[in-house]
Amino acid sequence: MESIYQYAWLIPVLPLAGATILGVGLVAYGKTVNKMRKLSSGLIITLCGLAMAMSFTLLFSQLDGHAPFVQTIEWASAGDFRLTMGYTVDHLTAMMLVIVTTVAFFVMVYTDGYMSHDPGYVRFYAYLSLFSSSMLGLVVSPNLLQVYIFWELVGMCSYLLIGFWYDRKAAAEACQKAFVVNRVGDFGLLLGILALFWSTGSFEFDVMGDRLLALVESGSLSAAMASFFAILVFLGPVAKSAQFPLHVWLPDAMEGPTPISALIHAATMVAAGVFLIARMYPVFEELPSTMTVIAWTGAVTAFIGATTAITQNDIKKGLAYSTMSQLGYMVMAMGVGAYGAGLFHLMTHAYFKAMLFLGSGSVIHGMEAVVGHDPALAQDMRLMGGLRKYMPITAFTFLIGTLAICGIPPFAGFWSKDEILGATFEVSPVLWGIGWLTAGITAFYMFRMYFSTFEGEFRGNDTSIQRELKVAQLQKLGMSLGPGAMNPQELALDSEAHGDDHGHHSHEPHESPWTMTFPLLALAVPSMLIGLVGTPFANYFEAFIHAPSEVIEGVPSEIDWAEFIPMAGSSVGIALIGITLGSLMYLLRKVDAGAIANQIKPLYNFSLNKWYFDEIYDTLFVKPSRRLARQVLEVDIRIVDGVVNLTGFITLVTGEALKYLESGRVQFYALIVFGAVLGLVLVSSVT
Amino acid sequence: MIADQFPWLTAIILLPLVASLIIPALPDKDGKSVRWFALGVGFADFALMCYAFWKHYDASSATFQLVEKYAWIPQLGLNWSVSVDGLSAPLVLLAGLVTTLAMFAAWRVDRRPKLFYALMLVLYAAQIGVFVAQDILLLFIMWEVELIPVYLLVCIWGGQKRRYAATKFLLYTAASSIFILVAGLAMAFYGTSSGSPFTFDMAELALKQFPIGLEVLLYAGLLIAFGVKLAIFPMHTWLPDAHGEASAPVSMILAGVLLKMGGYGLIRLNLELLPNAHVYFAPILAILGVVNIIYGALSSFGQTNMKRRLAYSSISHMGFVLLGIASFTDVGVSGALLQMLSHGLIASVLFFLAGVTYDRTHTMAMNEMGGIGQAMPKVFALFTMGAMASLALPGMSGFVGEISVFVGLATSDAYSTPFQVVTVFLAAVGLILTPIYLLSMLRQVFYGDSAVCDMASSGKPSQSDEAVCFGTNCVLPSEAIFNDASPREIFIAASFLALIVGIGFYPKLATQMYDAKTVAVNAQVRQSYVEISQSNPQLYAKGLAFPRIAEVESASLLGVVK
Repeated sequence: MESIYQYAWLIPVLPLAGATILGVGLVAYGKTVNKMRKLSSGLIITLCGLAMAMSFTLLFSQLDGHAPFVQTIEWASAGDFRLTMGYTVDHLTAMMLVIVTTVAFFVMVYTDGYMSHDPGYVRFYAYLSLFSSSMLGLVVSPNLLQVYIFWELVGMCSYLLIGFWYDRKAAAEACQKAFVVNRVGDFGLLLGILALFWSTGSFEFDVMGDRLLALVESGSLSAAMASFFAILVFLGPVAKSAQFPLHVWLPDAMEGPTPISALIHAATMVAAGVFLIARMYPVFEELPSTMTVIAWTGAVTAFIGATTAITQNDIKKGLAYSTMSQLGYMVMAMGVGAYGAGLFHLMTHAYFKAMLFLGSGSVIHGMEAVVGHDPALAQDMRLMGGLRKYMPITAFTFLIGTLAICGIPPFAGFWSKDEILGATFEVSPVLWGIGWLTAGITAFYMFRMYFSTFEGEFRGNDTSIQRELKVAQLQKLGMSLGPGAMNPQELALDSEAHGDDHGHHSHEPHESPWTMTFPLLALAVPSMLIGLVGTPFANYFEAFIHAPSEVIEGVPSEIDWAEFIPMAGSSVGIALIGITLGSLMYLLRKVDAGAIANQIKPLYNFSLNKWYFDEIYDTLFVKPSRRLARQVLEVDIRIVDGVVNLTGFITLVTGEALKYLESGRVQFYALIVFGAVLGLVLVSSVT
Repeated sequence: MIADQFPWLTAIILLPLVASLIIPALPDKDGKSVRWFALGVGFADFALMCYAFWKHYDASSATFQLVEKYAWIPQLGLNWSVSVDGLSAPLVLLAGLVTTLAMFAAWRVDRRPKLFYALMLVLYAAQIGVFVAQDILLLFIMWEVELIPVYLLVCIWGGQKRRYAATKFLLYTAASSIFILVAGLAMAFYGTSSGSPFTFDMAELALKQFPIGLEVLLYAGLLIAFGVKLAIFPMHTWLPDAHGEASAPVSMILAGVLLKMGGYGLIRLNLELLPNAHVYFAPILAILGVVNIIYGALSSFGQTNMKRRLAYSSISHMGFVLLGIASFTDVGVSGALLQMLSHGLIASVLFFLAGVTYDRTHTMAMNEMGGIGQAMPKVFALFTMGAMASLALPGMSGFVGEISVFVGLATSDAYSTPFQVVTVFLAAVGLILTPIYLLSMLRQVFYGDSAVCDMASSGKPSQSDEAVCFGTNCVLPSEAIFNDASPREIFIAASFLALIVGIGFYPKLATQMYDAKTVAVNAQVRQSYVEISQSNPQLYAKGLAFPRIAEVESASLLGVVK
């Protein structure tokens, strides 16, 4: 069993090797490699499968009670200063490895169907593999600096994948935004790492925690200072896990292809923030004010995400806000000290949200057959409806995911969300109230999504809605481009071109190929059942994954019915209310959603415009930074350079007098320099 | 042991120099044989230095090695004294690599190719001369010799404002280099009346003890000389012009090697010979470093010209070198040197790719470009990698350099905590600004719909005609072909990127070459620091004034631009 640990470094290295092979191949022999589609995808999927098998072996070994394993090498040194890198395998790592490799594996299989018509098929697999490698490297990192390294790398992969369709303007802007917003978080993370290193002299998680505690207790570092350092580190997860106020990049990130949204922006990378909080627990849990900040950030994010998701019409945007909201739950759980519950929700969410995204991808794939490859049309729920008839497997799995996320027992989401809410109630009823309300909103918007996509009549062939959406999209574009940029002729040409592109236009969407439905079905299994490992009756999960400071013997199974029943009852109750409202409005059409929206127009717009975060940031940061850059440049050219040029001008005027030397300016100049040198040296050596 | 006697370094310097003298005599019809000749010489010289260092250079020693010393003009005390240590050796290799690949990049220069390659080879020799000279007078001569080919290279081949840029470059560098001479003479003459030898030799000069007043003066003078070269604010304004107007291969050398001469000079002369003054100047260096980082980044973001944007990014990155030098820690000084090496590679590849792009588009204005990724996916991929390296993505060398500087500065015990906090914080702001300007450049140039056809027709031929061989070749705008990177271009970029990634993955590849040396330099500087702070405990305790200066400076800087 030991040898598997010796070779555990292969888990991140295998996908990296695959990515390197494809990447080098693409740059060196682009045409040939682009033709070897099945070979490339086969290679990448095989490597990922190998990594998955190894991860499962490690997980079982850890379940058997194998001791944690750490292996490091010296990576960089300067004088007495040493930096080590390596890998560690413990319970948390083993669980994360399995989550990442399984989701990545199914997403890769799915990709074969989803991207089959895309010219960038091979490149996409190369990126996917690179991402898997970085993410796996992140979860095996034994110290904070290595986490930072892979943290940035997953961010880079996310950048590449969001901007995958680089001919789309929106994608180009979204990927840049994602990277820069994440850099803002990384900026805090880096400062936090440096501050912690400055005070504790270590990058190791537990050493940092112990020493920081000792410093605070001895009074050489104030608790406020220590909390501030910890909050700086927390800025990293805030950006990566799309927490308020750095969440703005995640919805835009949906410009990337859907498998990416499932893998990176739902299941794995965005959960890295929660993972880092878990890793930093030895530092965080001793600092109550930090924990409070974390808990409130999570709760606020959960609420903002849910309230925004209510009004979104783009199916992927809706799911994106729901992801943000669920990440808020996890962060809140970490903040209230429910370590196991937070990570439990991370796991259940990874499976059902990946499935939901892949399901939405399947829907988009089906819709594209009807409305063409235009994301503004293919992803809009107002054009969908009744798809259950055409795509039964997708509809069935999507329903499972919806039930799971709404917290209906016995689906996975119920157990984890209930555990979080229960733990939160013990700490702060206010936070619980926000979480509880959010659960209701979640149920409402998820069933709104399900009903308007899969139930009712199919609206995809309604050209009036199509035109309306097209106009709305152009108006939006026009606003951002400024007046005059909109050209109606271009619009006409554009839509015609689309018609030509896809000869397979039909009036009915179709079910996706098996490579897409198989991962959906496969992911449906954990979405239904995985919650059962963490029931309050027998919490195997908690026994396996718990905060480093906690000691848990055996499987905690004592259950306090008096506590469980009202807790579970209230969360299921509000979910049912949400579902009922949703079905009244979107399934039975008893209540007119449009009329309600009109009645509370300001609130509706507030939600539809995502709480105006983008506009506020644009005014507060983007425009001023552009202006500042221009002004600095002006200063540079006018003042700094001007002063020097004046000197230069005077010299040139002197030089003009010796114009007859023509091109001899240099020689002349060199002559002067050497003459002066010579003279100086001679004079000084004589004296 | 004839191998030990062989004058390796002299041979390395003279080979390209002699070869450049042969070029005019070469039979040559269309410049094809000249380029093979020049490339061969460049490569042979690079191979020679690799072999010499491999066999005869001991990385675990901090002393001068491969020492050669011949009296040249004894009347002046000028010796041909060359040797390498941990500081020189990596920079010599960098110069050899970048110059060789720059000549390969200039493969299709067909305007006066003989002159072009001859000048490149002279430049090759002079760069190595600067890095290996152990005699201040020799260093000064090499420094001046290097200016002439650069001036001509920028003046003859380049963008529309190349003559202006070349003159500016020459005036700045030459005027400031006078300080090297003056300082050298002052050091050489100091103490001759009391029995100290008259010498320009750096090893012997290091033994002299200068009064602190003189040291500070010398330090200030040398700081100006090297500050211009390293493009320290406010002496940086020649750089965007020179780098922006030079042809791509020359820009590669300018940004890749010549900038590093400033950093090299600072460590070699200011730190090693004048450590006492360094103790007083270090906080100023740190402040200038922070100003460089933020000021350079903001100016870069304001630029619409691709090469000028890259040029300003160099200014920003050089700030980290200053911070590392000022850190008083092993890891900081090591990071400064690594940052120089890594920027040498990264800037070279970015300028090269900018040239490759220019060959196709014949414009550097980013707002005229767009959607080029469609036409040139390979260039796009390589450019993205270069930009990622430049924005200090982990796994690439830029990250290691910057994180070392950050860790060095954060763990430095020489400064007061507020000063450290402010400098680290402001330097970290640079981390946010870097992706903003680099990624928005990528977005404007490569992303978006294909606008390629528009550009070819909408070019302004009357103006573009004036630029001569601005990119890596001399094709006229009307004849430009939109093809993807050729194997030669991929090879050049890949050579740089392989090293960048290699060092990023395992930094000890580079650092073990000079670790002993940077530790020794730092030990010397720290000793001065300890001595001075003992005799003058007020210095850094009162040095709390420095952070205030830092804040005021940056605040006033921001105030000015607002």
